[in-house]
This record gives sequence, C-alpha cells and structure tokens, in this order.
Amino acid sequence: MTSLTMIARVTDGLPLAASVQEDEKSGRDLQHYQSQAKQLCRKLDAQSPERCTLEAGDMSFHYLIAQDVCYLFLCEASFAKRSAFAYLEDLRGEFNGRYGRRVAAVTRPYSFIEFDTYIQKTKKSFVDRRAPRNFGSINTELQDVQRIMVANIEEVLQRGESLSALDTKASNLTSLSKKYRSDAKYLNTRSTYAKVAAVSVFLITLIIYVRFWWL
Amino acid sequence: PPQPGPPQPGPPSRHLGGHYPSLPLGYQNAAPPPAAILTQTLVPVPLSQPLGGPGPAQLSPSLAAMSLQSSTPEALRVVNLLQERNLLPPIPIPPPTPCLQQDLQKINCNPEVFRSTLTSIPQTQSLLNKAKMPLGLLLHPFKDLSQLPVVTSSTIVRCRSCRTYINPFVSFLDQRRWKCNLCYRVNDVPEEFMYNPVSRSYGEPHKRPEVQNATIEFIAPSEYMLRPPQPAVYLFHSSTWSHNASLLDNIKLPGDSRTKIGFVTFDSTIHFYNLQEGLSQPQMLIVSDIDDIFLPTPDSLLVNLNECKELVQDLLKSLPTLFQKTMETQSALGSALQAAYKLLLPTGGRMSVFQTQLPNLGVGALQSREDPNQRASAKDVQHLSPATDFYKKLALDCSGQQVAVDLFLLSSQYCDLASLGCISRYSAGSVYYYPSYHHQHNPAQVECFQRDLKRYLTRKIGFEAVMRIRCSKGMSIHTFHGNFFVRSTDLLSLPNVNPDAGFAVQMSIEENLDDMQIVSFQAALLYTSSKGERRIRVHTLCLPVVNSLSDIFAGADVQAITGLLACMAVDRSATASLSDARDAMTNAAIDSLASYRQSVLSIQQPGLLAPACLRLFPLFILALLKQKAFRTGTSTRLDDRLFAMCQLKYQPLVYSMLMIHPALYRVDDLSDEGALNINERTVPQPRVLQLSVEKLSREAAFLMDAGTVMYLWVGRSCQPAFLTQVLGVSSYAAVPDNLHLLPELDTAESQRTRAFIGWLRDQRPFFPPLHVIRDESQLKPTFMQNMIEDRTESALSYYEFLLHLQQQISK
Repeated sequence: MTSLTMIARVTDGLPLAASVQEDEKSGRDLQHYQSQAKQLCRKLDAQSPERCTLEAGDMSFHYLIAQDVCYLFLCEASFAKRSAFAYLEDLRGEFNGRYGRRVAAVTRPYSFIEFDTYIQKTKKSFVDRRAPRNFGSINTELQDVQRIMVANIEEVLQRGESLSALDTKASNLTSLSKKYRSDAKYLNTRSTYAKVAAVSVFLITLIIYVRFWWL
Repeated sequence: PPQPGPPQPGPPSRHLGGHYPSLPLGYQNAAPPPAAILTQTLVPVPLSQPLGGPGPAQLSPSLAAMSLQSSTPEALRVVNLLQERNLLPPIPIPPPTPCLQQDLQKINCNPEVFRSTLTSIPQTQSLLNKAKMPLGLLLHPFKDLSQLPVVTSSTIVRCRSCRTYINPFVSFLDQRRWKCNLCYRVNDVPEEFMYNPVSRSYGEPHKRPEVQNATIEFIAPSEYMLRPPQPAVYLFHSSTWSHNASLLDNIKLPGDSRTKIGFVTFDSTIHFYNLQEGLSQPQMLIVSDIDDIFLPTPDSLLVNLNECKELVQDLLKSLPTLFQKTMETQSALGSALQAAYKLLLPTGGRMSVFQTQLPNLGVGALQSREDPNQRASAKDVQHLSPATDFYKKLALDCSGQQVAVDLFLLSSQYCDLASLGCISRYSAGSVYYYPSYHHQHNPAQVECFQRDLKRYLTRKIGFEAVMRIRCSKGMSIHTFHGNFFVRSTDLLSLPNVNPDAGFAVQMSIEENLDDMQIVSFQAALLYTSSKGERRIRVHTLCLPVVNSLSDIFAGADVQAITGLLACMAVDRSATASLSDARDAMTNAAIDSLASYRQSVLSIQQPGLLAPACLRLFPLFILALLKQKAFRTGTSTRLDDRLFAMCQLKYQPLVYSMLMIHPALYRVDDLSDEGALNINERTVPQPRVLQLSVEKLSREAAFLMDAGTVMYLWVGRSCQPAFLTQVLGVSSYAAVPDNLHLLPELDTAESQRTRAFIGWLRDQRPFFPPLHVIRDESQLKPTFMQNMIEDRTESALSYYEFLLHLQQQISK
C-alpha cells in the first residue's frame, strides 16, 4: 500500500520525521503528495482543528495535532478512518515520549528521522489486517473519530486564495461604481445642453417669425 | 683561477653542447655541466643548496645573459632543458600560488580541493588558444577535511539570478547589498544575515563565516530535499564469498539506527538471503529464472542492521562454507545486477559488487576480447571501449534511482573492465582491481584488498548527491571527467559521493573578460550524510585575469595540466585510438613550448627553452607516455591498462601524479636531519631522486613510491647494516623472494624506514603494498619500467624525447 507519514512542528511547519512507502504496482506519483503534505504542514496553525481528514482525489490526508506537533498520514481513501487515527494516536504517544521535549529547540529538518524505523513497524501492524490488535482501544476512539471534520484538501490549500480573490472583486466593484457615477453626471450635463439648445432654437425661430410676419 | 668574466651574450650554449654527450648513455653518466661548476667555484655559494631546484648560482652563462630581465618572477626564469639536468626538486612540488592580492589569497580555496591548470586566467579565448595550454579545473570536493566550518541557518544566502552561494569573493556595496562575483547582479542582504553568530554582533555581514571561508558546509533546509532523507542502504553482491565474508565482521558501517543491509550472491542462479527479524537463522532463496528476475520476498531482503545484527553475523559466518565446494563456473552478473537494482529501487543506496570472473551467462554476458599475443604490440590497442551498452544503461537506471555501484574485480584472468567499468562510471561508483588475486598465493594482494576494503567500508559517504560547478560570466564548462552522470549542462548526478573521488572539468572563455580583475569558480555539492542530514559543501576559487602571454605562462600549474591532459587522453583513446591520444599528449608539450618560444621569449637562443614553471612538463608528458595506461610496445594486460585509465580519470590529482611520475628515495642512509615530527614520531625526509638507473647504486637501497604500490629495491652489494637492521636478514642472498612486510626491529634504522613508509601510506586513502625487490625478483622489470628517464626498447629516453621536442619546435 502506498502511504506517507509525516511529523512536523506546527509553529513553522518544520518537518521532524517522515516515512514513505511506495508501491510499485500502484505507480502513483508520491512526489506531488509529498509537496502537498509539506504545504499543508506550513498552513496549519494553532487555530486549525485538532483532527481532520482531507480528501485529495482517491487519497486522504488524516492529521492530528497535539503539543504543537502535527502527525500527518496519507493513505488510500478506502483505508478505514478509525484505524488511521488510532495509528496516528499511537505515533503521538511514542514520539512525544521520545522526543517531545526537544521538539521546540531543533532547527534542522528531519532531526528525528530515526523515528522512521518505529513508524514503519507500527504502520505494518495497523495496515496488516491479520495483525492481532487491541480492538477495544479502537472502539473507544471511534467516538472521537466521528467528530472529526471532513474537508477537501484543495479547499484548505486555496482558502487564502479565495479570500484574496473576493478582495480584488470588491475593489473592482468600487472602481466600476465610481466610473458609473462620473458617466451618469456626464450624461446629465449633456441632456441639459440639448434641452437648452432646443429651447433657444425655438425662441430664435419665434423671434424671426414675429419680426418678418408682423413687419 | 679564471676570472668571472661578464656573461657572454653569444651562444655559449653551443660550446657547452660540445661538452654535452649526445649519446643518451653518456648523458646519463654526465656530470653537471662544466659551466655550472665553473660558476660555483667563483661565486661564494652557501654549502647547503636551497631546496627547490638549482639555485641562481647554477645558471649557465647563457641564462645569466637573461638577467637583464631581473624583474621576471621565478616561474618565468628561462630554463634550457637540454642543458639543465637536475630539474626535479628534492621535495614534492607545491602547487603554484595565484597572483592575487594577499587578503584574497589568504582565504582562497585550498589547492588540494580546487585547482586550476592556469592560475592566471587569460582574458580572451584567442589568448588562451595562443598559449596552447588546456584550461580546466581539478576538484577533490568531498575530501576528508580536518577543519570545516558548518553553518545552520534557515535561509542560505544565494544570488537571485545565478543561484551562486555567498562566498568570500563577493563585494559588499554597503551594509545591505552585495554584488555577486559570478554574474555581477546586486542582491539584498537578508535581515538574518546581518547578525553574526560567531562574534555575536549585528551589522557586520562581511564577517559571517560564509564570507570568511572559501570552503564551507551548510545544513540544508527542507526545500533542498525532494524526499525525506533515506536510510543508508548497503547491498553486498558477490559471486563468491570464500575470501571476503569475514572482513565485513566487526566493521562499523557509517549510518544511524536506520541503516539497512542486504546480501545477494550469484553463479548461474541468483541467491537472496531472507534476514527477517524473528527468524532463527537466515534463509537462502534461490531464483533460477535469470531471464525474468523477480524478488522473492521484497520486504525482508534488506533489513535493519541494528535489529538483525545476529542474523547478519550468522550469515557471514556460514557464507564461506556454503560456496566452498562449488564447481560452478558460470556467472550471471547482468541478471544479478538487475535483481539488486530492483531491491534498491525504493530507497537508493550503495551496491558493492565483488566479481571474480568474466560474466558469461544471461544478459550482459561478455566474451574474452584480449589476445595475449598482442599485449606487447606497438600497434594500436583494440577493445578500449565497452563491448555492450548493457552496463551503461543499467548504470543510468541506477543513477536515476540514486543507486551507486562499486566494483571490486578480484581476478587472475581477463574480465573486460572496459565493459564492466561502465556500471560504476555512470553511477558514480568506484572501481577496485586486484589482478592475480589469490587468497593463499598472493599475500601482498590480499593485504592490499583487506586494507582497501576496510577503508571503503568505514569511509564517509554521501547519498543522493548532486554537484554543480559555476563559473564567472564569460566562461563556460564544456567537458567533465570522473565518475558521474551529467544530468544537465552543469549538474552532475552522483548517487553516492565518497571522499576519495576526484573530478576534472575543461573550460573555455566565451566572452572576453576585458574589464575584470578576477574570476571565480564555485563547486557546490549537495548530499545526504549517512546520518540523514542534508548538507551542501561549497568551495569557491578565485583567480586573477591577465592579458599577456607571459603572465599566463607564469601561472601555469604543470601538475594540474598533466592531470587534465591525462584525463583528456583517456577520453581520446576511447573515442579515437591510443596512438591518437599519445600523439595529442606529445603535441601538447610541443605546442605550448613552441608558443612560449615564439611569443614570450624576447631573445632567441638555441636549445629547448621552457619557463621554470613548465620545466617538468616534458618529463611528465614522457612519464604519461610510459604509463601503463598509454604505453605501447611493453607487455600490458588490457585490464591493467583500463584500470590505470580509470584511476587517472577518477583519482584526485595528488594520487594520480604519483602514478604518472613515481617518487624515488634513497632509504639506506636515512637520517634525522630535516625530519618531520608528527605525533611524536620522527619521519625522515630523504630527497626525491630522478627516475633513472644512473641514480641507483649497488651499495644502497631505494624506495619507489608509485602511488598504489611501493617497491624497495635492494642493491646487490647493499650495506650489510641495512640488511640486518632493517630487513632483518644476514646477507643479500637471504632476502626472501616475496617479502612485503618490513620486520619490526628495534633499531633506529628500522624505525626510521618504517616511519617513513608509514608516513607515505598515511597520506593516501588506499593502501599501497610494498614489494622488496632483488635482482632476480619477478617484479624487477615492473620496477625498471618506472625508470622513466631511461631508454627502453620501445620508448625514448628523456634526453631523446627532449631532442625530439626541440626538433619539432624548430620546424
């Protein structure tokens, strides 16, 4: 199964650890998803929902934020959501225990890349259906999972862009209405001139008529 | 005593020439030119001659006439090669210093890392063409350095248009703006750069480490990574394991806790080893379908070294016994390589291939192309280019997936290195070759292999590397030499980079460098360390621009020129022919000396004249012509020749220079005078002797250091003291035939000799075996072939070669 697991610091999106598993058969281009994952980690902040699933075509991003660290898991959309979050929860527990204190201090990307070994093992046990697992713990987490918001990856990545689009549209509107106003004024004056001209032509004709008729 | 008359302006050299024997044999025995003696008796000369060639007092009168140009630098001093005999400096030649302002030169890149053939760059291409010398750079970018400043910062300051890294040779227009020294664009200094972490001060961007060091390493931010750093992956791939499995034990491979390891063996079938955690012992999986190769259990063939250490050790113990009784003579190397490529596909990594015979089964099968009767032929040598493009294609696939293939050839027979070598050449691997390797009969070769393998396994390694070489506007790079794949015009793809790899590039001048005082060159190597850190190592070299031919000649670096010419000649012999390459090298010497004579010398005089900085050029060219790679007429095995070619292209200049022109020392009278003191060990420093039999004497012992091998020649009537105190034998007759290890005797002489040999060996990353040579030794001819200045049946002596050059020049 193709999958991508990434752990990043929420404050600046610095990647801390990652694990990639490519599947020869699916032949999917993970490069694209990897850059999406990086972008996503940079977009997330303290205001982002703590747990979320983002749809990206036939793949899904599941993420979980805890103690300023984001745990992100990309897998096929068909993969059970509850397993995905149970897996992320497991990673969180282990990662926090091992490196939790050092997270704020590191500056180098992928400082805890050695966590990869643990990620791979854990993932294997979650992905492999035959692996004996504690179903009870899954069931209790099921409740939490139901509350997880579902959103589309494109929406999240483009949220900022649509706001700026709205802004430009509004400013366009302002300039258009200004133009309308000046145009209206111009039209008004023109029609006034036309009226004045018509009246004066009539008066002149009248004067000429009076003068030649009466005299 | 005769009066020191005024320097004779005429041609005294002619009368000197009379004294000078025209026969090469006599030339060898000739005393220093009488004129030199004459001058010496007249001028009070200090007893100890200064190091570095003949002192001014030894100038012949004809040269004294030149003293009117008293301002000429030492490099341009005119030397008549036909008259001056002792040109070889007694110590290894230091690289020339570029003629730069002192403050720039002080921070310039170390010449061992980055070196140019011309330390003064000509202003125009036509000027360069006139000088007839090749323009190029020689690099050793990943050299082990004892001091390397490392910078971690979130933004790496680079030029916005040409992406050059900020370096010591940029100019700061003011505090906030800097001008790129390669494309001359003015860039802003980012806020972060204003703070200097070293001095903890603000507002001094020019004092940052990036601007103070010509060699620096950056820790790259995540923008420099296409994918997360992959673990260090090592795959060992061998046709037999009988002799090298035990070596892998107890060696710490570079890497972190993620390091992965795997093993593949093959004969007519391919064997994989399942090392999955939890197994009680390794499982061997045999795939016999070599035409359509597949991986039996893709997940468990490459395993984490830390977690499966015991299984790996088990396997290493059992491997030699597994193949002890095999009678298999077939080798499906091509399919096995394809299988290994599949295994490494997801992560990339390093593949070490140990091959003992010609692959003769399946894809990539090769046939023996060597005719042993043609080895000594003076005619053109055939089969220098690959027989099939299978290995090149596979290497390019490997390169695309960040896999490097290193080849160890342990063979007594022809292995077609021309074809097999491609697998390493294009995937940025390295080639090791041990001719006539036998784990019982050839202990010197075994020791050499073991030491090399140890170094190979423990040395630093960089994964997923790329190297880009940039140069100032107006100059361009057109040809690269070394092991790599050129991905785009200036980007070299290096799946692995190792500290023993050298590179060379050729350059041309596209636009005139009219208004420039200096030009710069920058090599940036981006790699992932075995610990999973992405790093960028940047070297910047700055050189002056000159507009006169004499300045160009004054700045010529004869060793670098020789190294670059050797690379070019290797290419030429593959694309055209060996004789073409040989002619080209001779012509290079003729052309540059002719150009010097015509354009630089103001006073024409007879003789073969060269500037002092090029005085060794004809000698080095002759040495190249007699080198294993290019020689003709002397019996040379095709693989030996090709391996020498590989080495010339791939090795850093210091090591290839020793291969081209070995160093000869007299070692029976080592003394502590002028000795170095390293780590409380006294290392004697004997002087380098010319490579001529005339320098050998029966009463002495000599050490020849040919880079990858050393010979200790013991004279027939050598002083008994040396025999007993150093070799530990009572008489000359008792010197064993294949002695390759000096006994550790507790005498001053033994300690000195061993300290000197040890010191020579420590300077290089590979292990040169030592052979003690007597008159009857098998290796004596090999030793004598290195006597470059002497005449052989098929090649000219140095003096004859000089006469040939002179004849061609005066034509």
